[in-house]
Amino acid sequence: MSSNNNIDATVRISGLDKHFGPETAVLDFNILIEQGEFVTLLGPSGCGKTTTLRCVAGLERPDGGDIFIGDQLVASYEQDVYLNPEDRNIGMVFQSYAVWPHMTVFDNVAYGLRVRRAGKSEIKKRTMRALELVGLDHLADRYATKLSGGQRQRVALARAIVYEPRVILFDEPLSNLDAKLREQMRDEIVRLQKEVGITSIFVTHDQSEALVMSDRVVVMDKAVIQQVGDPQDIYANPANAFVANFIGVTSLLKGRVIGHSNSIYDIELPSIIGGEPLRLRATGETGIGEESEVHVSLRPEDVTLNTDKPSDAENLNLLEGKVIDTVYLGSFLECRVDVKGHEINIQIDHFENLSRDQTVFLTFRAEHALCLAN
Amino acid sequence: MTSETYDTDPRPSRMSNRFRALWTQENVITIIVSAIVAIAVVLPLITLVVSSFLVLDDLGFSTEWSFGNYVTIVTDPIIPKAFLNTLIICSGCTVLATFLGVSLAWTNARTNCPGRTWLEPFNLIPFFLSPFIGAIAWHNMGEPKTGLLNNFFRDIFGIEGHVINIDNIWGVIWVTGIFFAPLVYLFVVGSLRRMDPSLEDSARTTGAGLFRTTMTVTLPLVMPGILSGAIIVFVTSAGEFGVPFKLSAPYGWETLTTQIFTKAVGDDANHYLGATMAMALGAITVFLIWIQRRYIAPRSFETVTGKGFRPNVLDLGSWKWVAFGYNILFILVAVILPIISLLIVSLHPVWQGTIMLDKITGINYVKTLFFWREESIDAATNGIFNSLFLAFVGASISMVLALVVSYMIHRTKGFGSWLLDFLCVVPIGFPGIVLAMGVLVTYIQTPIYATLWILLLGYITRFFPYGQRNIASILLSISEELDQSSRMAGATWVTTMRRITIPLLKPGIFAGWILLFVIFVRELSISIMLYTDGTETLAVGVYYLTNYENEPLTAALSLAQTLLCLICMIAFRRLAGKEALSA
Repeated sequence: MSSNNNIDATVRISGLDKHFGPETAVLDFNILIEQGEFVTLLGPSGCGKTTTLRCVAGLERPDGGDIFIGDQLVASYEQDVYLNPEDRNIGMVFQSYAVWPHMTVFDNVAYGLRVRRAGKSEIKKRTMRALELVGLDHLADRYATKLSGGQRQRVALARAIVYEPRVILFDEPLSNLDAKLREQMRDEIVRLQKEVGITSIFVTHDQSEALVMSDRVVVMDKAVIQQVGDPQDIYANPANAFVANFIGVTSLLKGRVIGHSNSIYDIELPSIIGGEPLRLRATGETGIGEESEVHVSLRPEDVTLNTDKPSDAENLNLLEGKVIDTVYLGSFLECRVDVKGHEINIQIDHFENLSRDQTVFLTFRAEHALCLAN
Repeated sequence: MTSETYDTDPRPSRMSNRFRALWTQENVITIIVSAIVAIAVVLPLITLVVSSFLVLDDLGFSTEWSFGNYVTIVTDPIIPKAFLNTLIICSGCTVLATFLGVSLAWTNARTNCPGRTWLEPFNLIPFFLSPFIGAIAWHNMGEPKTGLLNNFFRDIFGIEGHVINIDNIWGVIWVTGIFFAPLVYLFVVGSLRRMDPSLEDSARTTGAGLFRTTMTVTLPLVMPGILSGAIIVFVTSAGEFGVPFKLSAPYGWETLTTQIFTKAVGDDANHYLGATMAMALGAITVFLIWIQRRYIAPRSFETVTGKGFRPNVLDLGSWKWVAFGYNILFILVAVILPIISLLIVSLHPVWQGTIMLDKITGINYVKTLFFWREESIDAATNGIFNSLFLAFVGASISMVLALVVSYMIHRTKGFGSWLLDFLCVVPIGFPGIVLAMGVLVTYIQTPIYATLWILLLGYITRFFPYGQRNIASILLSISEELDQSSRMAGATWVTTMRRITIPLLKPGIFAGWILLFVIFVRELSISIMLYTDGTETLAVGVYYLTNYENEPLTAALSLAQTLLCLICMIAFRRLAGKEALSA
């Protein structure tokens, strides 16, 4: 399958709105997706990610905004433009596979070519090539009902790429598969996407999928984009508490800014069980005002747990707490520590004998504690 | 804890003893019930086969073994024609009912046709009413001289002669078609409504337009349902007696069912010839039902996924009012017009084709329904009491039998349960009139002949499988673990049935009971074969009135029966929920 460098396959969405009755599904969605880019829409269920995808596909009519594929306007509320899905030259893979049970694997994949009135020999050639790409050429004559979940999803994938569409849309294609198969299919989709070089929009609620697969991730919540960035950026510099909490594991501590210089903030955490408040130093975007209520996000792997009070911690944050419990997770140990009513998760990769209520000391660098404005 | 007891104690524990005792106990019950069902189902069919090879001599006194009856049904001047007429009626009815059923299901499930939520129960009303009554009502409307519609057209448009003539095989096709359309509707609407929308969405995103998607994806996916519905309609119309009896037989178009009836009763009755024709009819219907169950039902596609998406709804634009009008028209011709015509006719002392407001009377209701009055007609009175008795007792016994049989087939799975499963399918393949012919020749020399009990036996044998299917479908959807955890908690089998299984099945039991009640209240083709003076049923009463009395009396009793069916339908929907009938 040749790459589609010769046609313009960018996707530009500006000001997209979609309502279902009184409910707002998508609000003011803006993005420019480059040709060949793999972009993931990530968020909890009901955040509007699937609706956005269906608007691009033409399965939903936007209530505001424009959608361009290449330089073609495919949907515009203001200009009253709406192209049917079949006229957009896209491919789509659905969560439920949607492999047609009344057709063979070959007929399923060949469908798009037949619709496009390709010649008989070309249909055969291109269908078999697509099936080879997903490793199903030996099952071409099988009926779809005789296939496993993973095989069905491969058929759906071949069916979506066989006619070399400008853009391929994935609507949570992996969520019906079991864990092992999901990883395998995930890698396969990435490999195929790079090989074919096709612009892809991928919807998922699984953050690890999003981080592994994408060039860029769009995090959505409550119909609104929360952050757009590459995976490392989103993980390391979440824009707000929602993103920090949704991507990876984090401990979110509620506090108040009591002093700052540039991007370094001094934060006071109220003691929930009474007594002296806690103080710590964090980094964040500049411009968070004094006395602002903030969240401090701490990744479990950035916190060090000490059983004795460390002596060389002048430049580090130091918190004293009590062990709540530890969970053995195979390659590492997860420990929850209570610090005056705040709960902090810590990841420990060396084995520790920790008992409940044991006093421990947590240290972490200011640049690992992220100060997030509310 | 239990496993430790097993490990340390070499003797079987009390627990396992009880299980073992129960196992055999359940087996014994299975065998007994199987035997009862087998006798009830198989005996009439065997007698039917045997009788078909017995040829009555010219004097009608002695018989001899031969294929003579089969020769007769081929060479007789009337029977081959009746056979041809049956085929024409079945084909026409199937085409009409399938077209109506599929198009109505599609507009209701998949378009933005206005009122589609409240239209559905009205579309299903004919399912609960009697096609025989429908034929009577349509006769009142479409008879060339006295038909209400013909008179209406004459008065309004000044047309000479008549616009419609319902009294021929086209009339039979028309009435059976509209009355059996809900069968197809029910087979199709569920899969249309619950079909995973991404099956169609993926055709759209792949590049197929709406029309192409409908033709290559949507329709093929519901085709097994359409074919199943069509076959059921074909078989049902082949066994339909009342409609051709009323609309075509008197005017020279006999069918197999009217011929079987003629040979079973009357002066030149010949049970053996009747049995032979019943064999021919039964062979066709059993073959078709076998095709449906063996080849079509298993090809049904799994198109429902767990993800609860709303189905794709097509915006018809201003065409939606056409769809709405089409649906209203169906309800008008299938439900409203027939009922209104019955009402109008029933209020006249005699019916001459014109509404005479000054002659309006309630005398027909007095004669048919007021059984305590001097002038009440025996056939009507008997019909009401016998039908209520048969429907009540018949539905109750059928549901008990259905419950036990379903449990045996799907839960205990003991010896012989496959046989039971098979025996529950067999009666569905035979039209009522065929089974009744078998029952007649089987029990004609026993004391139950000419009593209500032979009717009861016929009803239950033919229709308890419907109750059984009703219960079985719910039983299969209830996790077996619910029973098992009751047993684990220490309850006996009987306690588990009483406290867990039956309460869970209760809605299904009641719904099945009401469904059978309706079927029995309107039952004609078994009753007509097995009744004698004094054991008339409601439908036989209607038959009597239309044959020996006049149309207004017939209309009055018909309307009473229709009302009873409508009440049952409302009760059924209340109890069983909206989707209970969907195949």
